[in-house]
Amino acid sequence: MKAALIGAGQIARQHLACLNTLPGVELAAICDLSPATAEAAAERYGIPAWFTDHRAMLEKVRPDVVHVTTPPTSHFRLAMDSLDAGAHVIVEKPATSTFEELETLTRRATETGRHIVEDYNYLFNHAPQEILRHIESGAFGAVTHVEVLICLDILGPGGFADPNSPHPALNLAGGAIADFLPHLASLAHVFVGPHRTARTAWSKRKPSPLPFDEFRCIVDAERGSAVLGFSSSAQPDAFWLRVYGERMQATANLFETRLTFDGPRNVPKPLRPFFSGLDEGRDIRRAALATLLRKFKGPGAYEGLWEFLARTYRALADDAVLPITSSDVLAVNRMVEALKPAEQRA
Amino acid sequence: MKALVTGANGFLGRHVVQALLARGIDVRAMVRPAARLDAFGWPSSVEIFRADLRTSRELVRAFADVDVLIHLAAVVSGGEDAQFSGTVAGTERLLDAMAGSSCRRLVLCSSFSVYDYSATRGTLDENSPLQQTPDVYSRGGYTIAKWWQERVTRREAEKHGWDLTVIRPGFIWGRDHGYLAALGQQIGRHHIVIGPLTRIPMTHVENCADVFALAALDPRARGQTLNVVDGPGERVWAYLSDHMRGIGEPGWRLPIPHWLASAAVRLAFVTVFRRATKVPAILTPKKFDAMLKPLRFDDRKLRETLGWKPPLDYRQCLARTYGPESSPAEAPVPWSSGTATST
Repeated sequence: MKAALIGAGQIARQHLACLNTLPGVELAAICDLSPATAEAAAERYGIPAWFTDHRAMLEKVRPDVVHVTTPPTSHFRLAMDSLDAGAHVIVEKPATSTFEELETLTRRATETGRHIVEDYNYLFNHAPQEILRHIESGAFGAVTHVEVLICLDILGPGGFADPNSPHPALNLAGGAIADFLPHLASLAHVFVGPHRTARTAWSKRKPSPLPFDEFRCIVDAERGSAVLGFSSSAQPDAFWLRVYGERMQATANLFETRLTFDGPRNVPKPLRPFFSGLDEGRDIRRAALATLLRKFKGPGAYEGLWEFLARTYRALADDAVLPITSSDVLAVNRMVEALKPAEQRA
Repeated sequence: MKALVTGANGFLGRHVVQALLARGIDVRAMVRPAARLDAFGWPSSVEIFRADLRTSRELVRAFADVDVLIHLAAVVSGGEDAQFSGTVAGTERLLDAMAGSSCRRLVLCSSFSVYDYSATRGTLDENSPLQQTPDVYSRGGYTIAKWWQERVTRREAEKHGWDLTVIRPGFIWGRDHGYLAALGQQIGRHHIVIGPLTRIPMTHVENCADVFALAALDPRARGQTLNVVDGPGERVWAYLSDHMRGIGEPGWRLPIPHWLASAAVRLAFVTVFRRATKVPAILTPKKFDAMLKPLRFDDRKLRETLGWKPPLDYRQCLARTYGPESSPAEAPVPWSSGTATST
């Protein structure tokens, strides 16, 4: 299967490193507005062709799959052109700036008989997948509630809050935090289903070019409830996921490999907290070592992206159901739309 | 003569502006939109052009009436991608703008990091082997970005027939920049000194700035690639002593022979780390060599081509780095008119 990328900076490197390891995938071409950026990526990852014009690339290379890894406001146009050229599209989150654009894209995908998939990489990290396995086995019980809180200092001068060069994400409704809403919504969606209502609180606590630096939300969903949040102030950096089932509870930090479960055990009730604590301590020590070792090699916190791409390509090759379907993408983005600041919703 | 200086408010840039003024060259200083300039004490004759090479439009206006571009701007912090896009894509945009102007002369600040230290034996000079692709991609974000910046600039200069001078400084040191990667590994206030007798390819920021001003003026610099070091360099142990004394922070120093550390790093790299790509720099053989390999360095080509000698000797440089700070307005111009120039 021939793969091509539009956008060679930032996240593209993770896509390229992963694609180079996938069987049956040929990295055919890469495109970037900066010739040196495109050429450097081609040289580094052994890609035979590089372009600065995506239409020229689509026409000449005729890729089977196009990865759109540019800043979010350009996704819609590039994804449309790729679908029109007969390619499946894997687009980085947020897939589009507005829900209408996404609907247009999914309609066009249906018309052309191609798929459009948004990357929800953290969904495919080991921890959420392990929790899902516990749920499917019945051990976890029905999920009643999920909490997701990202603590990340995005106010430093080099990133979203760069005073010299406005970050493209600031053009999204909600600003820089909008870049993280697909992570929050996709995790809520996988555990408690499509949302029914959402109540949000957006605020700005510190001076910066960002319109907001804090976000909280309570979601009432079809199979349970969710509390979602993003904090620029809470430190240290962490990506907390807590899932509450009728028999078990799970806690994970998706920036690390930490995952602990707590549930019923075959001991007298007064001893349960004691044994739970021992088990939790053992799991955290193991995770500490695993988190350290993964810093040296491999995808690190992007393990989910590698897993997502591997499963997506496998499904495309087998003509099977994709790990993320277009109805998943639409449901997640309906939730994302409900999470946006009220005055900026489309 | 008017020079456009990018990165003019950076550690090197602010001194290059002063050096150009001292040699009678008019300066247009390109600085980022949010840069604060009050501390530099530049005279009102310095024109300020606020722009960010990553995003600003209309960069071509910066070249109006400019005779020479001195391109110092580079992103030296952040991840690999941030450094590449800031340094390399920024250079592409800048040189695109230059192509639309009448400016034909360009002095680029490259770096010693473009050399392949592992393949170099004896003396590292302008003829030493350069990093090659794809090895360069294992050298880390700074080297990748500087290597590509030089590559892009050489291609554009050739395409447009510009007069290019590439200047490759060694470790640039000066006030608040006294600690160098060549010193080994710092642990709190203490230091593991790898190869205590190794000489450091170093240039004081004011000496280095003088080379840029001279290269802008002197036609003999055209078409040249010049390394900048202030002579053979100080030995690691001696310089670290001066540095620790200068900042007034006593600490232990543990000397380790270079051959022993090098063997340990190479062994660990293939066994414990199994050639992993994200190992800390000092534990990666290629990066270890680039920081610590005992080589000889000299400023022979710079002396022979431009007749340059460092305006400040080592003792004067120490005093300027660690001594009391003079206000910018009072700071004497360090180079005398006796420094060789040819205009």
